[in-house]
Amino acid sequence: MTFQSDFAQLAEDLAPEDVKRVLDVFEADVRRLVGTLDAAAVAGDVAGFRRVAHGLAGAAGAVGARALEQACRAVMGRGDMETAMLPKLAGKIDMLADGALAELATFVAGLDVSAPRF
Amino acid sequence: MTEAAARVLVVEDTPTQAELARILLTGMGHEVRVVAAATPALSTAREWHPDAILLDIELPDFNGFELFKQLRAEGIDSEVIVVTADGSHRALKEAMRLGAWDYIVKPYNKLALATPLDQALKKRGLERRLAKAEETRPASDRFQGFIGASPAMTAVYQVIRSVAASKASVFITGESGTGKELAAEAVHKASPRAGREFVALNCGAIPRDLLESEVFGHVKGAFTGATSDRQGAAKLADGGTLFLDEIGEMPLDMQVKLLRFVQTGTYSPVGSSRIERTDVRFVCATNRDPMLEVQAGRFREDLYYRLYVVPIELPPLRERGADVIAIAQHFLAQFSKEEKRKFRGFSPDAEAALLAYSWPGNVRQLQNVVRNVVVLHREGDWVEAAMLPPPVVRFGGLPVGPVQAVAAPSLPAAPLPAALARPLPDPIVDELPPPEPEWVEVAPLAVAERVRVAPAALAPVAPAPLPVAPVAAPIAAPPAYTPPAYTPLSSRAAPTADEPEVVPLAVMERRLILAALRRTNSDVPRAAALLEINPSTVYRKLQNWRAEGLRDDV
Repeated sequence: MTFQSDFAQLAEDLAPEDVKRVLDVFEADVRRLVGTLDAAAVAGDVAGFRRVAHGLAGAAGAVGARALEQACRAVMGRGDMETAMLPKLAGKIDMLADGALAELATFVAGLDVSAPRF
Repeated sequence: MTEAAARVLVVEDTPTQAELARILLTGMGHEVRVVAAATPALSTAREWHPDAILLDIELPDFNGFELFKQLRAEGIDSEVIVVTADGSHRALKEAMRLGAWDYIVKPYNKLALATPLDQALKKRGLERRLAKAEETRPASDRFQGFIGASPAMTAVYQVIRSVAASKASVFITGESGTGKELAAEAVHKASPRAGREFVALNCGAIPRDLLESEVFGHVKGAFTGATSDRQGAAKLADGGTLFLDEIGEMPLDMQVKLLRFVQTGTYSPVGSSRIERTDVRFVCATNRDPMLEVQAGRFREDLYYRLYVVPIELPPLRERGADVIAIAQHFLAQFSKEEKRKFRGFSPDAEAALLAYSWPGNVRQLQNVVRNVVVLHREGDWVEAAMLPPPVVRFGGLPVGPVQAVAAPSLPAAPLPAALARPLPDPIVDELPPPEPEWVEVAPLAVAERVRVAPAALAPVAPAPLPVAPVAAPIAAPPAYTPPAYTPLSSRAAPTADEPEVVPLAVMERRLILAALRRTNSDVPRAAALLEINPSTVYRKLQNWRAEGLRDDV
């Protein structure tokens, strides 16, 4: 399964060590935000859920994790969101986040941090 | 290629986005600080003075637009680039309305960030260089028609530049001939109102009964002779500048009406109860000390404080140092071209004479002196001291001191009419026609002054008393001023003696003015035209004579 992550733009704009640093921050961001998202879902906090989804969308968009970004933005834009939907939506986002992190690990493994930057 | 290193503040609450921005900006060579909320953004902007701010709109404490407004309210002028995931028209329109330089929609790559940031920093750099150049450049010797780079004038230019953009009233003071109307025009031209009308009214030259109509206009039938509606200066200057020259001459009852206009921006044309509103910027001028006029009860204190918001005091020419030479050079080039002369400049001794003289008539007098030289001397490349007319130079070209005594001591409140201060060269004496057989000829006052010093034994002739009471009488309707056709001296009424009598200048001045009034059936504008002086001078003289208890007849 592909999660449509595209880290190539990062690699184009940044030196490998900078790409790695951004992706490290992204991984920490995702793990923290997913935890917060799950908590909001359990609590039935729709507004909090939206707010966390906004943060995840921003982080995912910054690195090119497209599927995760789009899913989060779709959640943010839903006008019919109710408490009962939150666990299911959170589960979907969790899965996309895991997928993005897996693709990220593969991408980072392929980075040559000693390569010169042009 | 990016603009030189700058300080960039990143306001972003998503760590991934913030880190990416920090790395990209650092890679561009900028100094970067990152904050995750609006409150620390405000404090950082206050103490760090960033050149640019990358501003996220969705912030945890309060909205980025609110932060933007607060930054501007505190005078923080950093270039702001709004960064938002919300690319909707409404959000972007709001960003631009608030004055953002540009916006970036998330997610963005390096190019999308660098392009607007570089442009913003280039613009900021240009503004700073311009401001620095403005501060450090040598003082310009030209400004909106003024010539001269003396410290006194440079300060005047600076005040005009500073005040131009506002609507604040400007009060210009200075001796006659220092360029008060030019300063008023400079304020207008340098202001955002430059595209609208600059309307100048000389309060001293307009009969008191007509002043209200001149300022506010009138409707048909408002008074005898008001055959149609007429717009006043207030309406004509709507959106522009209304210049009230010789404001101290405005009658007190008119000052009340002007005060209301200044306070409310509304007025009623003469003969109408209709309230009209207009948007004008007031610039006033006087050659008297306005506070002394207030203390003397001739100028309303409340109006004074309404109008005397930004004072500009124009220095007399004698306090402008080398400006005298620069201005003289300007006039020399202008008049040489007009008169087809070849003058290139002033010799050192001529410059010394110009610098040594006190110029009681200020720039207007200098203008006349240079014209005199150009007209009377056909040959030569350089103006020598000997060519300068007295009283600038006397006794073989040596500079002499000030000629302050020209002003009549009996008329302390009246400014010196320009014509009286005008020095006349000796060569003109020889060109004058012989005196004609009438006790006094109505000639320009300047000519009369020159005649006064002619060394001759005169046979005094008693003047025939002629009342000029109509001058003081209320004038029912605006007199249509038509300059009289020029009458050569030789064809005017002749005096009875070979030479005029030698009397105090003030006496001769009074005789001339009254004779001119008699000749014109007390038509002040026509009398003033015969004398080649401003009608306001005639009105003022008559007023002063009455105040001094002198009869206004001979």
